[in-house]
Amino acid sequence: MKKIERCLAYAMILLLAGCASLEPVATEPPPPSRNAAVVSLLDAARSQSAAGKPDMAGASLERALRIEPQNPELWQELARVRLQQGQYREAENLAAKANILSGADMNLRAQNWQIIGQARTRLGDHQGAQAAFEKAERD
Amino acid sequence: MPKRQKMNKKRILLLFALAGLLAALAFVVHLDSVVRERFEGKRWQLPARVYARPLELYPGLSLSPSQMLAELSMLGYRETPEPEKPGTFRVRKQTIELVSRPFVFGDGAQPSVSLEVRFTDGQVKELVDRSRKSTLGLVRLEPILIGGIYPGNNEDRLLVQLDDVPQPLIDALIAVEDRRFYSHHGVDPKGLARAVFATASGNVQGGSTLTQQLAKNFFLTPERTIRRKLTEMLMALLIEFHYTKEEILEAYINEVYLGQDGNRAIHGFGLASRYFFDKPLTYLGLADTALLTGMLKGPSFYNPRSQPQRARERRSLVLELMAREGFISEEQLAAGRRAPLGVVERPPRGTSAYPAFLDLVHRQLQRDYRDEDLRSEGLQVFTTLDPQVQLAAERALARQLAQLENKYTQAPDSLQAAVLVTNTQNAEVQAVVGGRNPRNKGFNRALDARRPIGSLIKPVVYLTALQQSRRYTLATMVDDSPLVYAQNGTADWEPENYDHQFHGKVMLRDALIHSYNVSTARLGLDVGVSHVLANLRRLGVERAVPAFASSLLGANEFSPLEVTQVYQTLAGGGFRTPLRAIREVMTAEGSTLQRYPLNIEQVVDPAPLFLLTRTLQDVVREGTARRLEHYLPADLDIAGKTGTSDGFRDSWFAGFTGDRLGVVWIGRDDNQASGLTGASGAMTVWGRMMADLDLAPLLLPQGEKIEQVWIDQASGLRSAADCTGAIQLPFISGSAPQQAVSCAQKSEKRSLKNWFKRIFGG
Repeated sequence: MKKIERCLAYAMILLLAGCASLEPVATEPPPPSRNAAVVSLLDAARSQSAAGKPDMAGASLERALRIEPQNPELWQELARVRLQQGQYREAENLAAKANILSGADMNLRAQNWQIIGQARTRLGDHQGAQAAFEKAERD
Repeated sequence: MPKRQKMNKKRILLLFALAGLLAALAFVVHLDSVVRERFEGKRWQLPARVYARPLELYPGLSLSPSQMLAELSMLGYRETPEPEKPGTFRVRKQTIELVSRPFVFGDGAQPSVSLEVRFTDGQVKELVDRSRKSTLGLVRLEPILIGGIYPGNNEDRLLVQLDDVPQPLIDALIAVEDRRFYSHHGVDPKGLARAVFATASGNVQGGSTLTQQLAKNFFLTPERTIRRKLTEMLMALLIEFHYTKEEILEAYINEVYLGQDGNRAIHGFGLASRYFFDKPLTYLGLADTALLTGMLKGPSFYNPRSQPQRARERRSLVLELMAREGFISEEQLAAGRRAPLGVVERPPRGTSAYPAFLDLVHRQLQRDYRDEDLRSEGLQVFTTLDPQVQLAAERALARQLAQLENKYTQAPDSLQAAVLVTNTQNAEVQAVVGGRNPRNKGFNRALDARRPIGSLIKPVVYLTALQQSRRYTLATMVDDSPLVYAQNGTADWEPENYDHQFHGKVMLRDALIHSYNVSTARLGLDVGVSHVLANLRRLGVERAVPAFASSLLGANEFSPLEVTQVYQTLAGGGFRTPLRAIREVMTAEGSTLQRYPLNIEQVVDPAPLFLLTRTLQDVVREGTARRLEHYLPADLDIAGKTGTSDGFRDSWFAGFTGDRLGVVWIGRDDNQASGLTGASGAMTVWGRMMADLDLAPLLLPQGEKIEQVWIDQASGLRSAADCTGAIQLPFISGSAPQQAVSCAQKSEKRSLKNWFKRIFGG
């Protein structure tokens, strides 16, 4: 009897495990870079932005961009910094650049379009902003 | 004598005494104003200090040990058995241990770090903090001081602030010239007494304090009279009354006479350091400092170039005096005496090794600062110069020009050149070479030589055509048959190809790849010269450019800098960024005055630019630049364009990788033919230079608007993958030709699909 119970128990566990694997597991987004220096500079930039020092954040991001010039997250973050600095035309352009480098990364593209939308809103280009936000939805 | 007369006599004496006193007072007051005027007048004009980019170390950085040692050498680091003090290093197998100097950057201070840098395969593998025994992700070394910006371009002084003066120099001055400098008040009675006795006994001595020597320098004519001596003493007292010891020392260090360079007098230790050792004063070591100090007594008598033995002996004496005063240890004394003289053979012409780049920096600064501020505030300017890239450019140029003159039997020194290298992603200028003698501050050809750009204009013509995607694609057939273009008021224009042939109907891409003139002219006339020039403006040319038909073949003149700006936008994926030589400007105290932030502007649609750039890669793969393969591997996918102007007067090459853009011009100053084409001349310099640098391949993101289509090369019509004579070309979606050509199956290549069909039938 005990053997059968054990087998049943194992079978149950296996069944449950199988079911569990069918559920989508929330995955962590991949790290923005494999280069530790770039990651620390990006973190520094985010802290500096949060502390209300966008100039310093921009400087940190430019340092990171010299190390990884094709990294779309860095360009995106720089676009955010420009938004914070009230430089909306510049933000729009930087986000456009980030988009070109984002390839098939839908999350990143959506975020870029969001930034473009925000920039255009501030510039008074409401049609353009609308178009950008729609693109963000689709991606 | 009656009492009255006695009184009168006394009064007269008193009056005389009073008058004398008043006269003396007046003299002193006069002297005082002279002293102050001379002193204040020289101070100052603290020139701006200009720095190269700081080297940032991180694991994965492409850097060889020898490149790192080159950087440390330019920073004036000294090799020691055990690095302990900032500015020292030691080399082990594949490892460099160093103690960095602290530096205050605009975005924070970098403290001194005792660092171990481990290398592998030409890369930094690991960074270790030796004191904390932990690994580091990023370390920024202090930037190399590359020059300054001086009063009205007057380079008779290389002014230094006391903060930048190495302590050994101050110690040496005290030990040798004025032991009691800090305690006397301008005149040193002990020293004076000794000098009098010594002179009386036949040993003529000066006995002057540093302050007195400084006063002596304020006079225009040398006089050795008692009266002058007394005046100098008085002035010294007045100087000490008004100014601190530090101010006096600083003035002294910047004033004293240390040598003669033709008809240019070398005043000040800053300039002397550059003139004798080709180093900034702040990087001088103990022995060098002792040598210069020793020269004070007699600059020509102790000139190390003409009297090396005497200079050595004098240097030893200085070191001994320093040891006696306790400024240096016995070991330092011994080491200093052993050290070679270290004087560079040929004195450098100017005050910086990078005059062409500094010129660019100065011009960019002048847009935001007045010259008076630039030369008087002691500003700190942080630039984008990469000394390693600059060195590669200068070396490549030197070697290639000699070879070219040899090969094409030109007179030696007849060719001139200019080179610029930038970072394609942020438009930072990494190197500027203004001529074949980069150390000469002469005509800056990189910025100021305007020459016809020849075929370098063609990418702009083709971009303009490709922007009209309904009319022009890479596969569109263009006509390379003879063209006669009638123009009002001038002769007909009949362009010719370089090979003097006409090629009939060719694909648009082939016309660019092989740089055909005739088909380009026809194409350009069709899209319109004004549209081409409008694109040129968008790409970054700010001047108004006269429009001719021949503009389409590059008859207009531009400087290498202007060309670089245009290609920068192409290399930046259609995002224009003004070329930057400066990152930021700080005050002397270390607060940020101005940043030059990275900003980009999308000026051309990326889709047609993608088509163009692909074709520029083909120019290198199979076109006029294919001989670049002698220098660089094909997997870099370099994009480039050769340019040769009318009559072979100007040889150009502009090309870029994933991270670097380079533009090279070769020609003659007298505008005679050099006989060089873009490929045989400028391109060879470009190739040799880039081969010395680490490069990222050019990867072009294709974007959603582009599709790849198989095209028949002969007709420009649609074809298929396994047909003969078919190549795959990019098109803006929907623009590819609809008409297909009948396909001759490739007999050699069998696709897997065909094989299956044959085996399994159906």
